[in-house]
Amino acid sequence: MTSTTSRPHVRISKAANRYFVFDIDDVMYLRRNHNICSVFVGTMPQAPQQSAFMGLPIELMAEEAQVLVEKEVAYVVDDSKYHPARIAAAGPQDRQYIDVVKGITSDAQRSMRETTETRKAMFAHKGASKKKERKDKKASDAQTSEDVTAAPSADTEAATSLFDTTPEPASATTKNPSVTREAAPEAWLATLTTSDSLLTPAPGQDEPLASVDVPASYPLYAHLQDKGYFMMPGLRFGCNYNVYPGDPLRFHSHFQATGFQWNEDITLLDLVTGGRLGTNVKKSFLIGGRVEGEEQRKDETEAALDVRAFSIEWAAM
Amino acid sequence: MAHPDYLADLASTVYENLESQHDWTLLESHTHKQQQQSLPENKTLLPRPLITGLPPRRLYLHPDDQVELVKTHATYTVDETPEMEWVLPLHLNEKFTLKQIAEVFDSLELPEPLAEGRCKRLLMAIVHDDSTVVYYFVHDGIVKPRQN
Repeated sequence: MTSTTSRPHVRISKAANRYFVFDIDDVMYLRRNHNICSVFVGTMPQAPQQSAFMGLPIELMAEEAQVLVEKEVAYVVDDSKYHPARIAAAGPQDRQYIDVVKGITSDAQRSMRETTETRKAMFAHKGASKKKERKDKKASDAQTSEDVTAAPSADTEAATSLFDTTPEPASATTKNPSVTREAAPEAWLATLTTSDSLLTPAPGQDEPLASVDVPASYPLYAHLQDKGYFMMPGLRFGCNYNVYPGDPLRFHSHFQATGFQWNEDITLLDLVTGGRLGTNVKKSFLIGGRVEGEEQRKDETEAALDVRAFSIEWAAM
Repeated sequence: MAHPDYLADLASTVYENLESQHDWTLLESHTHKQQQQSLPENKTLLPRPLITGLPPRRLYLHPDDQVELVKTHATYTVDETPEMEWVLPLHLNEKFTLKQIAEVFDSLELPEPLAEGRCKRLLMAIVHDDSTVVYYFVHDGIVKPRQN
């Protein structure tokens, strides 16, 4: 599984020691080319209790993030530091960001202006018809009591003029600075809902990348990943990883895998428990770890750790 | 050189269990590597005592073989052709490490080389004080589970 060189690196956001991928293209790429499908964790903002069908982002296990970094197809950035750093940094990306903000701001201003105008027109129309109504009423009132006609008609005029499209309010704003801030389009500020533009280009050599804290079972993960297996979190079968021979949508998992250190004591009851559970759910219990000491292969590299794994099944006797 | 007594006793417990409860035949205990040297003191001690034997029925069928047999409708013949198995006696209170498992596998000498893509396997016999013995297959590698 080689990566296409033309493709930009996958951006992994590290937030609160968790690793997220927000880009749907990246998610599809990882699933197709790097047998990583991971877990969708995004809820719908309007219905956060709906957890059956989650959406973006996906949350990667630390092992997955580390494997992708090792393969040089992804980079990990600490979101809380990366964003402010990008804004503060004076560089080409800074210029680009400001341009984007300006673009969005002017878009917002234009749409605000349009909305205001539509509303004004709407109120003007309403006001005019109201005025007509009031005039009719006034005429009938005048017949009954002539001494109160002046006051209500003046009120009506004042109320409707607030929504009139006459240039009068505009000229008033120029005199009053507090009103100017409300009405002048220049003062509208946009709050960005996305910071996409800050994220490109990918960080260079000088920008620090976030570290990935992998658990002790990482070598086993990397080994299985290298062999093309898909790994999902193993909680539901009491192990580190649920190992699928292909995409989990097409296959049942073959193994429940748990990583151990080469010289770590394994309680035999754990092996029995794992083997027994695995057999009950038609899986094999896989244990493994990185070979250490004299037995270790001499040609071991960071990318291909020397891992030895053993599969355990109940013998049915 | 010999194994400590408790390992020898453990092996004999499993030996008797296989012989009496599971009707295994051709049982044999192994403490040293099967080398061609005549002097017993020159033989290399195995990391753990092992037992070999022939179960009354075939105990293990690789899933790929199973698929082949289903295609040829010959599944019934499998039971009739048992294979020799290696047995590793262990006590429930023992602790085991990956390194030790690897050493045991490395010390196994198979009479004939393995088929392509197949791994060594052994039967882990875990003994408890109430004389319960449970048997689990351990494969030396990533071996997909049997279909059942």
